[in-house]
Amino acid sequence: MDSIFSMFLNDYYIQVLTMLGIYLIAALGLNLITGVTGQLSFGHAAFLSIGAYTSAIISLKLQLPFVVALLAAGLMTAIWGILLGYPTLRLTGDYLGIATLGFGEIVRVVFLNMKITGGALGLAGIPRSTSLTMVIILVFITILAMFRLENSRFGRSLIAIREDEIAAEAMGINITKTKITAFALGTFFAGVGGGLYAHLIQYLNPQDFGFVKSFDFLAFIVLGGLGSIPGAILGTTVLTLAPEFLRFVADYRMMIYGLLMVFMMIVRPRGLLGGVKLSRLFAKKKVQTTGTSASGGAN
Amino acid sequence: MKKSKIYFILSALMITALLLTGCGGGGDEKKQAEGEKAATGGDTIKIGFLGAKTGGHAAYGVETLKGIKMAVEDINTAGGLLGKKIEIVEEDHGSKVSEGTTVTQKLITRDKVVAIIGDPTTGITKAAAPIAQQNKVVLLSAGAVGPGVVEIGDYIYRDVLLNSVGAPAVTKYLNEKLGWKKVVVVTSMNNDFSVGLTDLFKEALIENKMEIVGEQSIQDGDQNFAAQVTAIKDKNADGIIFTGYYTEGALFMKEVRKQGLKSVLVGGDGLMSDVFLKMGAEAVEGSMFFCGFAVDETKSSDKTKKFIEAYKAGNNGVQPDYFSVQGYDAVMLIADAIKAANSDDPEKFRVELAKTKNWEGVSGTITFDESREPIKSPVYLLEVKEGKLAVKDTIEVK
Repeated sequence: MDSIFSMFLNDYYIQVLTMLGIYLIAALGLNLITGVTGQLSFGHAAFLSIGAYTSAIISLKLQLPFVVALLAAGLMTAIWGILLGYPTLRLTGDYLGIATLGFGEIVRVVFLNMKITGGALGLAGIPRSTSLTMVIILVFITILAMFRLENSRFGRSLIAIREDEIAAEAMGINITKTKITAFALGTFFAGVGGGLYAHLIQYLNPQDFGFVKSFDFLAFIVLGGLGSIPGAILGTTVLTLAPEFLRFVADYRMMIYGLLMVFMMIVRPRGLLGGVKLSRLFAKKKVQTTGTSASGGAN
Repeated sequence: MKKSKIYFILSALMITALLLTGCGGGGDEKKQAEGEKAATGGDTIKIGFLGAKTGGHAAYGVETLKGIKMAVEDINTAGGLLGKKIEIVEEDHGSKVSEGTTVTQKLITRDKVVAIIGDPTTGITKAAAPIAQQNKVVLLSAGAVGPGVVEIGDYIYRDVLLNSVGAPAVTKYLNEKLGWKKVVVVTSMNNDFSVGLTDLFKEALIENKMEIVGEQSIQDGDQNFAAQVTAIKDKNADGIIFTGYYTEGALFMKEVRKQGLKSVLVGGDGLMSDVFLKMGAEAVEGSMFFCGFAVDETKSSDKTKKFIEAYKAGNNGVQPDYFSVQGYDAVMLIADAIKAANSDDPEKFRVELAKTKNWEGVSGTITFDESREPIKSPVYLLEVKEGKLAVKDTIEVK
């Protein structure tokens, strides 16, 4: 499969599209937490870094297969998600946001000072195991999982929590448990994304997982439309590809990128696809096919 | 829902357009690449620049690029290399590691460069080096001074003054010439350069039987150093060894003076920036740091003088710094290797590059040792004097 890709695409596009796939997996995770459940998280990059470092250390120190490292990365991140979620998910809105922001900074500083992570020197020499095929398959699995999740009883209770916590509780939903489960699931995908990232870039440095990256992820899903799976996909795709393909305007690249964001928010304050559901798009076949081919990176 | 459908189509179209412009370009390059293979190279030799033009490390990237451009101009006006012109492909990665790797990939696969100069920082060089190594493209970093760079592979080089050469030389100088016995060491914990340099300084301090009376950690991006300075205030040290970068260095010294301490600061070339002088003002007076190059009218060679003149002419009389010189030398090193190998095939000229011995560059003499690490002489020790940088001494390295 990878050889097929390398026939049509050069390594540069493969690198960019693989990166896009990784961001998609992580962004969909955040969409579950922030978009569907309505819990503001500013610490998504920290979860990505936990996954990245976990998988990198497993590959480097224990020499276990990549799949094991990826799974371990997801599970480890989910465990930390639960550990963070338990005390903090009792908070709401801005307060939760600040708590996750703090957590993100703690994670970064811990990685900076740990011996096993290489501290500020970073962790180099991670084997390059991430391939485009694998990432595409994982993206589709993630999309499917998210779709199934949202349309399950559990998913509906998440939406209920987002809309009105008190009403949801009155309907018999265990709010804390449901929120933590959503948080664990969302961070699991961030961890998997992190594991893929580590085995693509081959070098990890805590500096790359600062809160700016967390905001990037938030921008992905807000721009695409909070709580919408196609929205998250679209937002991530546009914001990841734009800086790369705007390279031809050289020094004005980031300015146009910023303008693009401002313009989109003015035109569509609820995000590009705010409130649009995947199931609704399925009904309109033509529209759907354009959407997935672009986001899946099969172009 | 009709409206959202329209927006969906619109945005989908936008992505397709973005992808198509990108891929369309890719197709052309593929053709071009095939053509190049047939004719063993086009009429230009492409060299890539990997560095930051925006973000935290922009000061390094921009200066390096200036030097690179000057070298290319010199070579091209002198008739080019192997009868071909050199072309620089410049890309900005915004000081981000992940973008650094995509840029490297782009330079290699889309632009088909034979060599990459950069990144000026160790972190991104370490991320980019495996890609260059796998694709058999020479990567010569004009600024990466941390450990574990050339170990990545035999296509990876650097033309810098290594901290492992500079720190011991300077420590010895501080001990023997200035009579320092007790020092305080300040490290920026989230800065790979700083952590590495601190280790080297500590090793050298022990070797010279000097005493570390205090150790403080800071973070890049910190604004307030009151706590750290208070902690070292009563240590009675001869000086402060500060291994971080310029912004924090200047702010740290301001706090030192504010609290009435007289000690001066000694550091590595991470302090080398106008920002250090301007932001620190009188607080950094007397501060010293070592680097691989400085403008020294009395001792510099003709080659160096010529470069300084040319740089000043193109930059409103501003004197060149370490990074621009390093960038210039990087291009010249590669050009000389290509000339020696009589080929712009990285596989061939990298062998010549490894053989470089006592090569006379603008920044001094460079020799690559058996492990391809550069040994550079002399080490320049600079001092801030009346708000300007002056060469305090040059320390020869054997």
